[in-house]
Formats: sequence, C-alpha cells, structure tokens
Amino acid sequence: MIARVTPGGATPRDPPAHGGAARPPIPPWGRRGASRFSPVGLGRLAARLGMPVFWLILLAFIVLPCACFLLLAISPRLFDQGSQWFTLTYLRQSLTGSTAVAIVNSLWVSSAAAVIGLAVGFPVAWLAARTTMPGRRWVSGGMWLALLLPSWLPALGWERLVEQDGVMYRLGLNWPWATHLIMGPFGVVLLLGLRCVPFSYLAISAALNGLGQEFEDAARVHGASRWQALRLIVPILAPAIMSALAIGFAESISDFGVAATLAYNSNFTLATYALYAAIGNFPPSFPLAAGMSWLLVAAVAVPLFLQARALRGRSYAILSGRTRQAVRRRLTRFEAVAAGSGLALFFLIMLGIPAFGAVSGSLLGDYGSSYTLTLVNYQALFEQSGLIGPLERSLLYGLIAATVTVFLGFIAARLLSSARRTKSTGVMDYVLLASVALPGVVFGAGYIFAYNLPIMSTLHIDLYQTVQLLIIAYIASSLPTNARVLVGSVSQIQGSLRDAARAHGAGAVSAWARGVLPVLSRPIMMAWLYTFCGVFLELPLSQLLYAPGSPPASIAIEDNLSNYHFGVGMAQAVLAVFIAFSVVAIVLGGYRLLAPAGWRRIGGTVRG
Amino acid sequence: MASPISIASLTKTYPGGSVPALKAVSLDVAPGTFLVLLGPSGSGKTTLLRCLAGIERIDSGSVGIGGRIAADGRAHVPPEQRDLSMVFQDYALWPHLTALDNVAFALRRRRLGRAECRARAALMLERVGLADFARRYPNELSGGQQQRVALARALIADTGLILCDEPLSNLDADLRERMRVEISSLVREAGATTVYITHDQAEAFALADHIGVLEEGVLVQAGTPEEVYNHPATPFVARFTGLAGELRVRVTAHGGDGTLEVVAADGAAGRLPALRPAGAAPGSAAAAPGPDGADEGRTLRPGDGAVLAIRPTGVFLAHAEADERHLSGRVADVAFRGRGYEYAIDLPGLGRLTGVFARHRANRGDEVGLRLDPEGCHLFPADIAPSADTASPTVPALTA
Repeated sequence: MIARVTPGGATPRDPPAHGGAARPPIPPWGRRGASRFSPVGLGRLAARLGMPVFWLILLAFIVLPCACFLLLAISPRLFDQGSQWFTLTYLRQSLTGSTAVAIVNSLWVSSAAAVIGLAVGFPVAWLAARTTMPGRRWVSGGMWLALLLPSWLPALGWERLVEQDGVMYRLGLNWPWATHLIMGPFGVVLLLGLRCVPFSYLAISAALNGLGQEFEDAARVHGASRWQALRLIVPILAPAIMSALAIGFAESISDFGVAATLAYNSNFTLATYALYAAIGNFPPSFPLAAGMSWLLVAAVAVPLFLQARALRGRSYAILSGRTRQAVRRRLTRFEAVAAGSGLALFFLIMLGIPAFGAVSGSLLGDYGSSYTLTLVNYQALFEQSGLIGPLERSLLYGLIAATVTVFLGFIAARLLSSARRTKSTGVMDYVLLASVALPGVVFGAGYIFAYNLPIMSTLHIDLYQTVQLLIIAYIASSLPTNARVLVGSVSQIQGSLRDAARAHGAGAVSAWARGVLPVLSRPIMMAWLYTFCGVFLELPLSQLLYAPGSPPASIAIEDNLSNYHFGVGMAQAVLAVFIAFSVVAIVLGGYRLLAPAGWRRIGGTVRG
Repeated sequence: MASPISIASLTKTYPGGSVPALKAVSLDVAPGTFLVLLGPSGSGKTTLLRCLAGIERIDSGSVGIGGRIAADGRAHVPPEQRDLSMVFQDYALWPHLTALDNVAFALRRRRLGRAECRARAALMLERVGLADFARRYPNELSGGQQQRVALARALIADTGLILCDEPLSNLDADLRERMRVEISSLVREAGATTVYITHDQAEAFALADHIGVLEEGVLVQAGTPEEVYNHPATPFVARFTGLAGELRVRVTAHGGDGTLEVVAADGAAGRLPALRPAGAAPGSAAAAPGPDGADEGRTLRPGDGAVLAIRPTGVFLAHAEADERHLSGRVADVAFRGRGYEYAIDLPGLGRLTGVFARHRANRGDEVGLRLDPEGCHLFPADIAPSADTASPTVPALTA
C-alpha cells in the first residue's frame, strides 16, 4: 500500500487538528450529477445504444440485402426461386456463354485500365510533387474535379462527340476511324484508364509528400546516379503503387457508368452491365445475377486482399518529425515545355474533349447536319415539364444522403477507432471493409431482391420502388467508403484534446465541439462533398431502384439520350455538372469565409 | 585515402530566401581531420554539409575535395562522383532493403560483384556489432541499431570523406554517449576526413580534432577544441560553447602583462582580478577581436565598457573565509551532481550565474562569496556583445 504523505504527517481522512467538524467526504466521480437526463447521462445512454443501433442499420441495409442476394446464387430454394437447397449451377452458368465473355472483358479491361491509370498517374504525381512543371498547382484541383464526375458523363461526352451524326461529323470531320476507335474496347479501356488516373495520382502524391528528400540524397552520396536513385526509391512507394493498382482495378471492374453507356453502345459487354441485364431482361434471372455477383465481388475483393497481404509485416514507414522536405528539380526549358504540354494533353483528353462533346452537343439541335449553335435545349429544360424536376430531385437526394451518410460514417469511424476494440467493432470493421468491395450494381440488385421478398410485405416493410428505398440505398452504399475515409482522421484525434477541454471546465458537448470538431471539420466537409457528388449523379442504384415517375438526374439524362433527344439530354448533363460544382464551390467558399481561421489551418497543406 | 577539403568564399542563398544561408565561408581541412561544425539551428551548418555533399549547389566561391574542384559556382560535380559517404540525421535507411542490403548498396560504386558486396557488408555489420541483424529491415531495428547500420553504410566504401549530419540527435542520452564513442573510434580507424555537424557543444568538444563555429551563415571561429574553448573569438562563440554568465564591467586601468583592471559596471561588486582581453595572448597588447573573429579587433582602454564572459570553469564558490572573494551573491538554486554541487547564484544588480561548481554544500538563500579564475574569464568590448545585458548563459554551460 502506498502511503500518502501530507504536511505534518496527517492523512487526508484525519479530522482537523483544531477539533472542528470534519468536511463531508467527496462522493466518488461518476455518481455525482450523472442523472438520467444530464448530458453525461445522455452521453452514456447514447454510448450504450450506439453500437446495437448501428449494427441494426448495418444488418438491415447492408448485410442482409447483399447476403440474401449472394446466398440466392447457391440456395435458390431458400428464397422460393428454385428447387435446390444448394447448387453451383448459377455460378457455373455465369462462367459460360455471354456472361463469361462479359466477365473476361471486364477482367482484361480493368487490368489494362489500372495499368494505364498508374502509368499516367505516377509520372503526373511525380512531376507535380518533385519538379517545377508549369501548371503543377492546378493538377490536384483537376484530379479532384475528375474524381467528382461520374464515369458515365465523360463517356457520354466522348460518345456524343464521335458517334455517327455526332458533333465530329456535324463539324464536317468525317473520321470513321475515330468512331471505331472510341466506340469499342480501346475507348472503353481509355475512359476507364483515365478514370483510374486520379486514384493513382492521389495515392502516389500522398506517398511522395511523405517521402523526404533524404532517401534520394542518401543514394546519391553513396554513389547512385539520379536515375539509379530513382530506381532505388520507387520500391519505397510500393504500398502506394499497389494501392493505385488495386483501387484502379476494383473501380474499373465495378464501374457501371461506362459499361451502361459507351461499352453498351459499342456492343462491348462488361460484367456489370451483364448483371444488370440479367435482372432487367425478361424473364429476369435473379439467381444468375447473384452468381455473377459472386464473381464480381471476388474480382474486386481478391486484389484488395492480395494488396493487404503483400504489405502485411513490412513497414514502409518513411515519415518522421524531421523528414526533410523534398527539393523540386528545376526543369530545363525543354523539359518544362514537354511536361506542361503532356499535362495539358492529359487534361484535354480527360476533361476537355468530353466537356467539349457535352457542351457542344447541348448547343446543337437534335437533327440535321448544320452546325448552328442554339440555346433551344436549355430553354426547353426550363419550359418543358419534367426536364428540370429530375435535377431538383437529385439535388435533394444528394443533400439528404450526404448529410445522413457523413453523420453515420462519423459514428462508425468513432466506433472503429475506439481504443477499447471489441469483437463487435472488429466484425464491423470487416463488414464495412467488405462492403467497400461491393459494386453498386450488386448492391442495387440485392436491394431489389431483398425488399421484394414476400416476407417484407408480411412485415409491412413496403419500401420497394419508393424514393425512401433509393435514398437508403444511396446512404448504405456510400457509408462503408465514408466510414473508412473518416476513420483515418478520427483515429488521429488524441483523446487528450477532449480531455483537456473537459479538465478546463468545458461540458461534454462543448468539449467535443471546441476540442475535436475543429480538427475534423475539413475531413468531414470533404467526405460530405464526395458523397454528395457521388449521389447527385449516381447511376447503377438509380437505374435499378428509382421510383416510377420520379427519375433522378442520371436516369432522366439517359432516357433522353436513348430516345434520341441528344440536345436536351446533354443540356441536362451540363446543367447537372454545373449544379454539382456550384454546391462544391458554395461549400468550399463558405468554409473558407465562415470557418474560424484556426479550423482552416488544421489539415491544410502548403504546397510549393 | 583521406581527402583534404578546401572551401573558399562559399556563399549560398536558397531560392526564394532573402538572407544568405552561408556568407563567404572559407575553410581548409587537412586529410584525416575530424572537423565538427558547431552552431545553433539556422546557422548554416547543415547547408555547408550539403554543399560539401553536392546535394546543394553553391552560388559562388569554391569547394575542393581531395585536391579536385567539386563546385565553383559554375561547375557542380554531382554527389555520386565526389567519392564521399554520409550519415544522415534520420539515418535515411531505405525501408525496403535489409540492413545488409542497405550497407551493401554503398559498395556498388566500387563495381564489385554482388556476392563480394554482400560479404563485405556482412563483415562491416559484424564490425559495428550487428552481425545477427543483417537480414532485418530498418523498422525491425532499434534506434541505436539503425544508427549503426547508417554508420556501417558510410564506412564500408572506404571513401576519403565522411559527412555526419547530427547523427546522434535522435538517440536518448545514454545511447548517444555510447554511439559517440563508437563513431569516434570507427571513423578514426577508417582514417577518413570527417565533417560532423552538431548543435551540442559537449558532443563537439568530445569528438573534434578541429571545431568550426557558425553564426548566421558566417564561420566565426575555427580551431582546436582547446583554442575555441579557451580563446573564444567572439561573445557568440563564448556563449555557444558554454558560459556560467556574463557581467557588464568597466575598464579602469592597464595592468601588467597585457591585462586590464576592471570593476563591475554598477560598482557594487568587490575587486575583480586583472583580466586579459579575449583573443590576446599573454604579453600582447590588450586588444579584443572584432565580431568576425578577425585579428583587427580594437583595443580596450580605461573607461571603456566591456562584457565579462565567465566560463563555469572560471568561477568558484569561495569555501573558506581566507579565500579571495571577487563577487558576492545569494544561492538561488542548488543541484547535487554526485561529485559536488552546482549552484545558481544571484548577484545583486548584476544578474545570475549558473553552473557554479563547489564540492561543499550551501543552502538556498545563503549569502556566498565567489572567486573568479582569469583563465576562465573572457573580456569583450561592450559594443560587440550587444545581448550581454544579463548574467544568464545563452546555452547550458559545460560543467567543470
């Protein structure tokens, strides 16, 4: 026992020497004031209920719909979709005929796209981070812009540009070779590859920013030439390179935007579209779609798993408190011109040409061979009924879904980053990680199947073909990524930030708002924007789950284009992008103007 | 074979910077010398080292290594062609290579076979006591082991010049001391010229054959550790190499043998001993050096204000009543140091002296007398010691 020594040798419980009444003992911490309705009591209640409620949400809206759907492929009897309790027929079936072709197409196209993404993203990231390349300050913004655009928009832009009777022909450029090139596997690989570039760029840039100059300097002073030094330190970026490849492959193989537009119109079937067609065609075959889902999920999960496994047990830790900031290499005039031109060409192909295709398409009349610019399509948007409504609808869906998703994502991140890690949080971690690997089209198919089951009517859960189910699906599909993104920021929060505020007199809510929220404000805002943009122009879930009579923006645009209303469809697309970027600008501008200066400093990066 | 170094009028300004990081630094280092560059953060020592390594380009002046011009403002020999090696502050061990491969990498320039490189690397690791850790990755090694791998990498190629960029700054005090001894012995065994930078004056004095002190990009003094400690060229050098404190004094008269009679500026203290101005040799004129450490320092005359920089070795607590007392003060703090006590003494009207050593104990608040040893006291003209308005030392003083 450790004796507590006080001046004069008295122990704290001794009565005062002057003989007065002893002060009443102070009650132990925790009991005092922790009434049921005090902030502390509410906090405890929330802490106790948080995990079960969160699990309920996960089970109802992520695990069960997807699990039921995947289970259907091997046990159709379980859901009254066939006679067998266990069968591999549908898995085998999905590996034969046209579905097998679609899967093989998806595999090679996605592999090629991931490699293209890395081949372009790596040098761009390197040049932007380590050289004086002109325009390097714009690269990051351009990449985020590309990331916020759904893949089907550039695909439609390219398509409208090069298709028969497209902008190219109406400008008098009779280039059938360009049509064949873009409207085929090359175009699909090119577009998906370009789509992978921002992911590669961000992964490599993050690693490069942490890679101090000293590794290269150490190689140079120990005899390596500039080229040898580069070769030596590239493997240090292995985690980023593997991440870029795995994410690129996963994004490409689960992409539905290019599959449902450019690839479909080029008669080049990809797996996600084949899965959609298995449900959308008559008669629908849910078990076959479920069988294909297994293959898609495996195709996404395997590279992610291999990446994680390859890095396990190895440390590529390069950050330290004294990491020396890398020195930018001054490019010669020729190098600067070459690098700047390459960068301009990249953004031209990635954003400029599809933007030109979309904007010019929206400014041309639907028929005829003349090249006369007109605003008639934009006029129609505001005058004809039913054209602007989908955009307003998607805006509302995006605002609701982003807000709820970020709220739930934050809770999930808090649970996952908790110091007291339980089995429950461990399983939740796996569930959320596995859900990231679920392609949107599988998610949507799972929702159609699960919320169409007879038991749902019995339970009076009649959500099928309602706006509510679509919004829930948006939230549920965005939640895993959101939680994974936020967990990084939340786990960096030191408990001492909140504890210090509490110790200095702040209440629980005030301590969180003053000690923690400022640190997380920027990641939360970025997560909100990413979710909003993703939902606002989302395609696969919208395609499968939209409520009849209430199409969201992506469906309305698709419908107009497939019904040969090219001008109006493109005008809708251009306006949609304008709305999305306006929201981004308002949020970022609002943060810059309204957030306290201290909030903006945290997490901000200084770039040379 | 050890490389001589010749640096002439080296000037370097970083792009975007308005103040030069190095201003006309000139320095010659004999082959096999262990040179320590000492200075506070921002003094330019790392820049000088990186210019030597060829990692930074110089603006003007020249750098010669091994009798060849490595940089002269126009020409720039890249680092890999300078035949040197370096121990980095964070070690800069490549995280994807094992300890063995990290060390073997430095031999690639010798164009040896892979097996030969690895065999020599294994021998070098054995020499630094890491034979059993050859296959480990950097993250599997402790800080001290990583440091030794970095040292092995620097030693293995047998280059004529080894550069060390504060290699001990990331280690704890105990390990730092042990590694200091290892570096000192291994580098001297290798026979290479070594340039080592640090801001720790104790480390500098312990390691160096020669010390160069940098202040705001200027090399203010270069010499042996004894010269720098016993004859600091400027008040800055005196402060940075360890002072108990400074006193404002006034010269009253010329003494014998080039010494000066001084009294404390406020006249309150007792009679101070006759002192020789800093930089003046016994028997020479009472001249003090200029701010650049040059010899053209001006002469202190009776009536001039001066600053008396007192080394911890230049002040003692008077023990017996018979001891001569130059100053008197009150004990502000006392710290037991095993072999005796270290005191902080408040001098009424003059400030505070710290690191004052005595073998006997006095209590806080006791009135005590102090005796100054002229050998540990350096007198500078007041106008070249602008910040010397208190008796507090700039850096922790070296203990006696």
